[in-house]
Amino acid sequence: MLRVTKPRNARSKRAMKEREAKVVENPKTAIFIRGSQTSQAVLDAMRDLYSLKRANAVNFNKKNAIHPFDDETTLEFFSRKNDTSLFAVALHSKKRPNNLILGRTFDHQVLDMIELGIEKIKTIKEFGTRTCGVGIKPLMIFNGEAFGQNEDLEKLKNVLLDFFHGETSEKISLEGLEYVISVTAGPQEANGNVGKIYFRTYLVNKKKSGVRQPRIELEEMGPSIDFALRRTRHASDEMWKQATRVPKELRVKKVKNISYDGMGDKMGRIHLGRQDLDKIQTRKVKALKNKRPSEDDGDDQFGSASQGSSKAANRKKLKEAITIDNV
Amino acid sequence: MDVSQVLEEHKKKFKSVQVEKVIPLEFDLGLLAAFDVNMLDEEVLRKGGNNVNEYLKSISRDNAQLLMNQIMEQPIEATEEGVMAQLPVPETVLPREKPIPKEKPMTRWEKFAKLKGIKKQKQSRMVYDEETGEYRPRWGYKGANNTDQEPWLIELGGNDDPMEDQYAKRREEKKDRVAKNQRRQQRNVEEAAYKSTKKGQTGDDARNLRKQELQKKLAQSKFSTASMGKFDDKMKGEPKIKSGKRKHDPTVMDAKEEKMRSKDLLNRVNRASEAGKNIVNTRKAQKTLKKD
Repeated sequence: MLRVTKPRNARSKRAMKEREAKVVENPKTAIFIRGSQTSQAVLDAMRDLYSLKRANAVNFNKKNAIHPFDDETTLEFFSRKNDTSLFAVALHSKKRPNNLILGRTFDHQVLDMIELGIEKIKTIKEFGTRTCGVGIKPLMIFNGEAFGQNEDLEKLKNVLLDFFHGETSEKISLEGLEYVISVTAGPQEANGNVGKIYFRTYLVNKKKSGVRQPRIELEEMGPSIDFALRRTRHASDEMWKQATRVPKELRVKKVKNISYDGMGDKMGRIHLGRQDLDKIQTRKVKALKNKRPSEDDGDDQFGSASQGSSKAANRKKLKEAITIDNV
Repeated sequence: MDVSQVLEEHKKKFKSVQVEKVIPLEFDLGLLAAFDVNMLDEEVLRKGGNNVNEYLKSISRDNAQLLMNQIMEQPIEATEEGVMAQLPVPETVLPREKPIPKEKPMTRWEKFAKLKGIKKQKQSRMVYDEETGEYRPRWGYKGANNTDQEPWLIELGGNDDPMEDQYAKRREEKKDRVAKNQRRQQRNVEEAAYKSTKKGQTGDDARNLRKQELQKKLAQSKFSTASMGKFDDKMKGEPKIKSGKRKHDPTVMDAKEEKMRSKDLLNRVNRASEAGKNIVNTRKAQKTLKKD
């Protein structure tokens, strides 16, 4: 039957409302899941990525028998339970050692995912520098032309942007620009495969430069990971279309009659409305002056008419005069 | 000494914020992202070693500098929380987390109000109580519409029973009113839920659906007694349950008839397989296999 879950108290009602679909959405939350078989490298990577994503992340400490590329149901269950839309799964096997799967869900269904093999890792702890604050938005840099050419890398770029961009805000504090995530797509391998992907994280040091913009110096903070691209799953066209639909309320309305030229100058077109010919100021001629209708005025037509109609007649005369003038 | 020279001297004290690039970077300032499509130094990257990290750091620095310069060009204002830069709307298409919320279906009252052109009017929360000369909330605790306790004096009509407890009656009446309203709320919720399903577009059939399901459940419950509901009390207007007795063909039948049937079956299989159709109900077949 059409069973509708009804909140039992105000707190659960609020919680349910928080989970509802919204026009302007909450920042995406990620779950970090540990597979049944893991290695130290992949766990290190998970921990560090979690520390970058913290505040909007849920960490699973226990092992889960999970294989996202074979069976999505567990993942979708976790996503629904925790109300998350991003996931990272750590796995390790003989066939695919040090496996990290990044992906996202739409409406708690797996949308797309990317499998990355960790070839080398240096953790935040190993660098031992100071770290950035919790919940701080990173500057994201993608280097390499491959990001625009390879479909899988393009997807990776999109996933990473989605993973780390945090809350969309109109304003950003300049002091809050604390760290940089730089992702570089290395040269293609000899067999035509996608090359290594270098994931680096740096702290930003702003130095005086004598001009308005500060001079940027970077200090490596970690994690620093070399990835190899493995399996990928792209979203189906239908699902992607659904997921990227923009709500009516957020669509930018087309502004009429305003345009910008090549120099960025604003041009406007104004409508003045129809010109009233009756009120137009014409040449002042004595003959066209309004005569007071009086009895000694010899004109029979005017004399017999009332005052109002004589005015109308005068106006008619005036119009005739205008046309004559124009000719 | 010239002014320009002084400036030049001053500038030399600091490192430059300018970066030269063959292809200018693309930015998505809404996401604080920069995309560099310039050629990388493949030799360094192929070789590996510590040089790779140095190289990555240097290009990251250059690009971070360019990104920072770009952010500084945005309108900047000083607020209480610090210096803030205004960011444009993100350009990169990122998928949503959940589908766009659907418009909630109207309740029966809302539909009626729209039809009649009744508009909601803002009411004050407190109303003046003339008897006590105080303001009371319109509803709720100690509300003005609370008729449980007052008036303490109840006037009886000519036909009313003088021996009846009028206070209890009044309480009962209120309970009934509340219950009725709750039933209506439930109906609205059910109709809305039915509308959101694929089947129901109008929502008027929600009641029908519930009826059908109730009858189905009833039939099931009857079927599950030892006597298959034969001795159960009948309800008013209860539908007749179709008994599910299977008819079996006789084991021995006319040879001609049997031949015909087998032929028919084979023909059907043949035709379907020629047309490339799958005539086997795989789900059923799997079930039987599992049972074996």
